[in-house]
Parts: sequence; C-alpha cells; structure tokens
Amino acid sequence: MIDAYRRFMNIEAPPAPQRPKGFFTDTSLCIGCKACEVACKQWNQLPADGNELSGNSYDNTGALGATTWRHVQFVEQAKANNSRVGQRWLMMSDVCKHCANAACLEACPTGALVRTEFGSVYVQQDICNGCGYCVPACPFGVIDRAPKDGHFEAGRAHKCTLCYDRQKDGLEPACAKACPTDSIQFGDIEELQAKARRRLADLRARGETSARLYGMPESTEAAEVGHLNAFFLLLDRPEVYNLPEVPRLPRKTMAQRYAISAVVGLAFAALSAVAFGRRSG
Amino acid sequence: MSDHPSPRAAELGVPAGYYDYPVVKRPVWTWEVPAYFWLGGLAGGAFLVSSAAELFGTDEDRLVARDGFVVAAAAALPCAPLLIKDLGNPQRFHHMLRIFKPLSPMNLGAWTLAAFTPVTLARAAAEAGRAGLLPGPLAAVARLLPRPLMNAAGSVLGAVLAGYSGVLLGATNIPLWAKSKLLGGVFMASAASSGVAAVMMAAARRRAPEKTLHKLSRLGTLATLGELAVLGAFLKQSGRAADPLVKNAFSVPFWAGAVGLGSLVPLVLEQVAGRRTGKFTRSLLTVSAVCSIAGSFCLRWTIFEAGKESAGDQAASFGLSRRTQA
Repeated sequence: MIDAYRRFMNIEAPPAPQRPKGFFTDTSLCIGCKACEVACKQWNQLPADGNELSGNSYDNTGALGATTWRHVQFVEQAKANNSRVGQRWLMMSDVCKHCANAACLEACPTGALVRTEFGSVYVQQDICNGCGYCVPACPFGVIDRAPKDGHFEAGRAHKCTLCYDRQKDGLEPACAKACPTDSIQFGDIEELQAKARRRLADLRARGETSARLYGMPESTEAAEVGHLNAFFLLLDRPEVYNLPEVPRLPRKTMAQRYAISAVVGLAFAALSAVAFGRRSG
Repeated sequence: MSDHPSPRAAELGVPAGYYDYPVVKRPVWTWEVPAYFWLGGLAGGAFLVSSAAELFGTDEDRLVARDGFVVAAAAALPCAPLLIKDLGNPQRFHHMLRIFKPLSPMNLGAWTLAAFTPVTLARAAAEAGRAGLLPGPLAAVARLLPRPLMNAAGSVLGAVLAGYSGVLLGATNIPLWAKSKLLGGVFMASAASSGVAAVMMAAARRRAPEKTLHKLSRLGTLATLGELAVLGAFLKQSGRAADPLVKNAFSVPFWAGAVGLGSLVPLVLEQVAGRRTGKFTRSLLTVSAVCSIAGSFCLRWTIFEAGKESAGDQAASFGLSRRTQA
C-alpha cells in the first residue's frame, strides 16, 4: 500500500547516510583575504550585496544573509590611547553552523529544511514557501529570506548548503578549496574534532592561553543546539565574534510556553461557564 | 569589570560584541502577521464565549450565542488570506499542509486554522439556516449539522488558534518574544477579552436582553483584568528586552493603544454601564467593545514590531543566551 503510494507520488528513497562532514574554521590562521567569500559567491552564483563601506575595519560584508554564506569578520582590539601594547587584529570567517539540533530545521513548517546524508542542514528550494519562520529561529542570525521583489530566488530562505552539490560529486566546498591558509578545513567531522583538539593544545602550549574551541560536543555552547558541524577555534570569548555563549534551541522551552497558554485558556473557559451560570438561571 | 564577557576586550576598553552588529536576524514578516494573530485570537475567543453561552446560558443567552458564532466566522475568514499574503511564495501556501509537524508551531497553526475556519463557517451556516436566511435545500443541510459537536471542536481549535501565536513568537531567538515564557498567555488573554468584546458588540447592536449584556460585560471585565495581570508579569520578566515596547520606539501605541484604549477604557466603561440600564448602557458597552477590539490589535502589533526592534539589540541577545541569565 505504502509502496504503491510512493510509486504513484514518485517519492524516492532518501540517500543512505554517510559519515558526517563539516567545517573546522581555525581563526588563528585566518588572514582576512575573503577568498572564501568570493569563492562561495562564485560557485553558488550569489549576487553582489552592494558597494557600501561600513567604516568597521575591513568588514564591508556586515553579516551572513540570503546571498552571503561566508562572512569574514575583522575584530580590532586596540587601546583608545593608540598604545600598541596588547593590540591585536582578530579575523574569523563565519558560516552557517549546521547545528546537530538545528533551530531552523525544527521551525520549518513545510519540511523544506532537511538534514542531508552528509549531516548538513539544507533548504530544498522547490519546497520552501518563504514563511520566514526559520529567520528568527536561528540563534546565530544566519538564515534569511531573499526579498520578495528581488531578482535572486525571490521570497525563499537561503543559507550555506555546505556545498551539497559539490559534496555529491566528492568535492570539498568552494570556500575550503579557496582558503589559502587552511583556516577553513573540510572533512570528516570526528577527524576534524580530533585535529582541533591537537591544534588547541599546541596553541596553548605556545602561550595563546585565550584560545578555545566553539561548537565541540562537550562544550557549553552545545548544551541546547548540540555540537556544530561547522565549528571554530577562537582566540577570545565567543561574544567578541558575536557568537552567543549558549545558543538557544527554541524547542527546549516550547512545552512550558504551550502549558502557560493552555492554563490561561482553561481559566477563561471556566470563567465563561460561570459567567453564564446555570441553564435555569 | 570581572563580569565583562571578554577580559581582554575589557582591558582594552573595546565593546563586548562585534561592533554594534545584531546577533540574530530581524524577522522579515510584515503587518499581515499581527493582523492575522489579532483576528484569529478574536475568532477563537468569540467562538469559545458563544459555545459557553449556548451550553450554560439561558434561552436569552443562547440568542446572543447565535450572533457570536457569526462574528467568529467573520473574523476567521480573512485569517488564511492574511497568512498567505505574508509568505515569500504565496502560490506555495499549501506546502504548509504537505506534512504534519506539530513540533513547528507554524505548522501546528496552519493545520489548526485549516480545521477551525470550516468549523466556524459551518457553525455560522447552521445559525443562518435556523434564522431562515438560507434558501430551502441549503437550510435543510444546515439543520443537519451537529451543533454540539461543532461547538466542542471549534472551542478547542479556537483556543489553540488564540494561544499558539504567542508560543510561535516565543519559540524564536528574538529577545522580546523569547525572554519571558508568558507571551502565549498574553495573546490568549487578549484573545479572550477581544472575543468577549466582539460578541458583546454584536449583542448590543442586536438589542439583546440587558441581563445577557451585563453577563458579557462582567466576563469582559474579568478577561481584561486577567490580561493586564499576565501582561504585567510578561513585561517584568522581559526586562531590558522590552525596552522597544515600553520605553522606546513603540511605547506610545503600546501604553496608549494596547493598555489605555484596549484595557483601561473598557474597564471604566463596563463599570459605569454595569450600574445603568437602557439605551445608554448599550452605547457604552458598544464603545467599550470597540476600544477593547482596537486595543487588542495594538497589543499584537506593538509586541510584533517591538520584537523586530529588539532583534537589533546585541546586548539583549547576549542576555538571552548567557549561561547565567543577566
């Protein structure tokens, strides 16, 4: 019966799961060249975002969005008195985190957002109806809806696909391929995590004591969204890079929210019953 | 400055976050969404009140309930078009119903609306048939509709429709919507007060008996008091995240529209009307109902828009996601 339905509806069996793949972005190696941004735009045929200068260091990209799937941040840490002591310049190539528990995927009412066989989170463009619920759901402000009146895939949600099309052909994502310093590394997620731990130990041994990993299975930021399939080595607290300390997964409080709403509703129903009194009254 | 998020940044005297850039994305929704939440809540509340009047009330109360069901249907009718208009790809609205996924409040709401709308329309048709407003064969069909079953189904669906919208906004990472867990309660209470008001407005215009009007007025007062209580707790829990609502951009429409016009004015008018009889009472209660309904829209709209503002508040976002909630 179900098989007949599947044949009738032309429903394919989902691809068999592979070993999960992801990004390890080591910000200690980033030189801010933005090759990742360009390679991403080029491969994914994303339009330019304009030519505005932000005045905030070399960051004229501003944020991830519907047509920007890699974003290089430039954090200038310098004393106001121009003393060079302690001055430093942090660079970080931000990207969709492809969370193990993805808020966007859970919020999606159409099933357009799916988990691929590579463990990444992917928007099926032929399903998305542009409801926009994934946009405020994401704790990292990654996914966005393209403007309804725009020229690029108007009115649908977009974000990094972890180059699903390239992965299908056994290629690494365009940004990782283009990165000249291997700040962006692509590979088997468990191998990358092991590599990241070794790199962290090495950096700490060399005196970079504020280095830390963001998005590992055991770290605090994984408490709700789980480990990140695109995780980072940072040189300061997450908030310096606009990353939340503990990214929230909306599902965690949803039952309580429904319960509170239901209590108010039941109270009102009871009041209504009392207000109209007995049938005989 | 030991609690500064970055000791290094604190030592250097630079901001905690990345420039003043927002952490989360600004929601892309427009006015259709609060308008739908408002009408959906009103429809649900009106249906619930009408069902209660029919089940527990006197014969006179039941006459009022008939109008209430028509009001609920009229409010439910524009909901789906509003929801569809807000989509990025409206021609794909039916994709909402290609799966059943109650984990997503948006999906749950779409199914609820898809079930509630026909129930209210059928319930209103049943009343129209009883009142002789339908032509012969249709009236015969309308008479066959199971009213108690429709009342039960519509009340449950209407209550879900009234409350889920607050849960939907709450289940995000927007500081104002998500900080407190009470938003679903606020919207439910507002749906209750506006639903009572809508039924009362119809009843006052249709010369319903004064006894019934006073029952509705008392129920409206209680619903409004409850709404104020839940709203107060919501604002207290929200703290700094509520600044765009209570202090900045949307403070005037919130305090004057949602609280003043929507709650305080009806409370006073209902008190005055409660001690009087006659035509003046009907006028007072009609004005009170209109204020309550308008205020209910102000509440949805200001919380919606102020939430979009709060998405730009980097510090409020960090406050929402710190291990020790600041």
